[in-house]
Amino acid sequence: MSSDFTVEISQNEYLAVGGDDVNAIVTVTSPDTGLAAPAGDQGSAEIIIIDCSGSMGSPRTKIEQARAATAAAVDVIRDGVAFAVIAGTNNAQPIFPLDYGLAIADDQTRFLAKQAVAGVLPRGGTAIGQWLRLAHSMFLSHPAALRHAILLTDGQNQHETPQQLGEAISLCEGVFSCDCRGVGTDWEVGELRRISSALLGTVDIVPDPSGLAADFAAMMQTAMGKQVAGVSLRVWTPQHAAVRFVKQVAPAVEDLTGRGVPSGPQAADYPTGAWGASESRDYHVRVRVTPAGVGQEMLAARVSLVAATPSGPEVLGQGLVRATWTDDEALSTRINGSVAHYTGQAELAQVIQEGLEARKRGDEDTATAKLGRAVALAEQSGNEATAKLLARVVDVVDAASGTVRLKKRVDDADEMALDTRSTKTVRTKR
Amino acid sequence: MPTCPSGHDSASTDFCDVCGMRMDGAAAAPAPAGAPAAGIPAPPAVPAEPCPQCGAGRTGQFCEVCGFDFASGQVPHPAAAGDAAPGGTDAAAGAGSDQAAAVPDRAASVPDQAAAVPGQAAAPGADGAAAPAAGWAVVVTADRAYYDSVIAQGGPDAASIEFPQYCPERRFQLNGREMRIGRRSVSRGLEPEIDLTGPPADPGVSHMHAVLIAEPDGTWGVLDPGSANGTTVNGGEIVAGVRVPLHDGDRIGVGAWTVLTIQAPPAS
Repeated sequence: MSSDFTVEISQNEYLAVGGDDVNAIVTVTSPDTGLAAPAGDQGSAEIIIIDCSGSMGSPRTKIEQARAATAAAVDVIRDGVAFAVIAGTNNAQPIFPLDYGLAIADDQTRFLAKQAVAGVLPRGGTAIGQWLRLAHSMFLSHPAALRHAILLTDGQNQHETPQQLGEAISLCEGVFSCDCRGVGTDWEVGELRRISSALLGTVDIVPDPSGLAADFAAMMQTAMGKQVAGVSLRVWTPQHAAVRFVKQVAPAVEDLTGRGVPSGPQAADYPTGAWGASESRDYHVRVRVTPAGVGQEMLAARVSLVAATPSGPEVLGQGLVRATWTDDEALSTRINGSVAHYTGQAELAQVIQEGLEARKRGDEDTATAKLGRAVALAEQSGNEATAKLLARVVDVVDAASGTVRLKKRVDDADEMALDTRSTKTVRTKR
Repeated sequence: MPTCPSGHDSASTDFCDVCGMRMDGAAAAPAPAGAPAAGIPAPPAVPAEPCPQCGAGRTGQFCEVCGFDFASGQVPHPAAAGDAAPGGTDAAAGAGSDQAAAVPDRAASVPDQAAAVPGQAAAPGADGAAAPAAGWAVVVTADRAYYDSVIAQGGPDAASIEFPQYCPERRFQLNGREMRIGRRSVSRGLEPEIDLTGPPADPGVSHMHAVLIAEPDGTWGVLDPGSANGTTVNGGEIVAGVRVPLHDGDRIGVGAWTVLTIQAPPAS
């Protein structure tokens, strides 16, 4: 395995006398050439879970496009990769292979899988926890290191309780990653975000079923590019210091703070999932330290990228977050551009979600204030994609000051797109 | 294993594995102040403390060979007072301990004594030889950073407590099974082994503030039986009634400005 990951730190290390708040942006980049010895094709497993509930039959194009999208994804699976397709209803059943295990991809198995998928019919309800449980047991039938699922649904999780879903998610955490897609506008953004967030995947809306095939093929392509599984961000902090938060901030905001697993004296590992070549992600680490005297320099955090290997954890790279106390205010008050940028991006995601929530409740004042703030933040940070999505929900009077009016009529798909994509960030301009 | 400025063992050589402080200072930390002053190349940082009188390795409060009294304050200790040795020992000035200000001039005669005994510097490898017999010790200082952190927390009397203008450094050998930290009280018949009565008196120290307890393995722990103002170890408040193991260089904060720095015997 290669150790050519780079870990770069961007921060203002200077603290005023008595200062205890250390912020840093950690940029992790994987090498652009193959990561020396990729897991090998036997090392990957893929499961596609498609919603086959009754609602997928109306309009009929939904199930047709779901079949086509699954076929497109199956075509992208490399020879040698273990795979399966699951039909999800109020319970879950394998579509291919039928023996509750995984098939090894080759021309024949891919053909058989597509044939089986072409025959699925919509019937029954929706119990996503059951789907995850079946995927979990099928993944465990094969010793792959890189396990990834794609989950497609068009409706809400009606046939089990949120608690049942939660238990299924916890079961799968750390076993496989899962990208979630909602087709149409009858599904619940919060539900899918809960899954994708815990299972280190992405979530997105596919408003028009005709867009599914391209999206599925792209997701599978990305999954096929993953080469190192089980990578964690290890954050060591000095005695009596505390991690305030660890967040992924690019390509999307994902709070990892509660996900830390103690991994040694004063250290915890935060899962980042699998990595492919030339990937780059940013993390915001915030630590509270015990202030030291002027002129003293302290290591506030040692951030390393650690891969789980059969022979134990392997460090792929590391960066140092420092703290130096100074009585020079010109130094201690300097604001680090990256930290400020991502603090703004995290706030952007938050005010969008809060604003949409308020709008649903009918609290127009709060919705207007929050979404106005979002427009201003998107404008300042150059997050054009989010700005465009916002403009479909509010009429922008003045972007710079965040003066907006709520639109009277908003397309459900536009609102859900804004919600699901609210966490997408743009990178800092260095 | 390298040691950080606070005395923690650290496998990492850039920053301490325990407290995160920069290790460069530790690498540059001088051996006993006498060596450079004597014009002899400074040995690598070795925690040895030969007797300034006769050069024999120290084994206790008094030199086994000539009877020199190590504890009377005439000799700067390598880990604490050494940093603060007087002007003649410039090499020690870079050691960067914030305790420096608190140490008085009493060691003024030491460099000469040391210079008269070149043998001491010639034996840098004998690191284990310097272990005091009782091993562990605490050095009590008035600590500005700790005081600042206490005052910053506020509290009813915070505004009225001043940092002492002058506070002699006090050193206590740890022996027996318990060493009580507090202030003596005639009326209560209390005479703590580590008596912080002063002057200067730290108003935040309880008569019976904390106890250092010898562990079966030869190390020491600290326990706060429930003092009025609490006890910190390396800046973190400890829970009353819970024994906290101590390591070389750990800093116990009591009262408003009193810090007790633990000194383990040098590893042999």
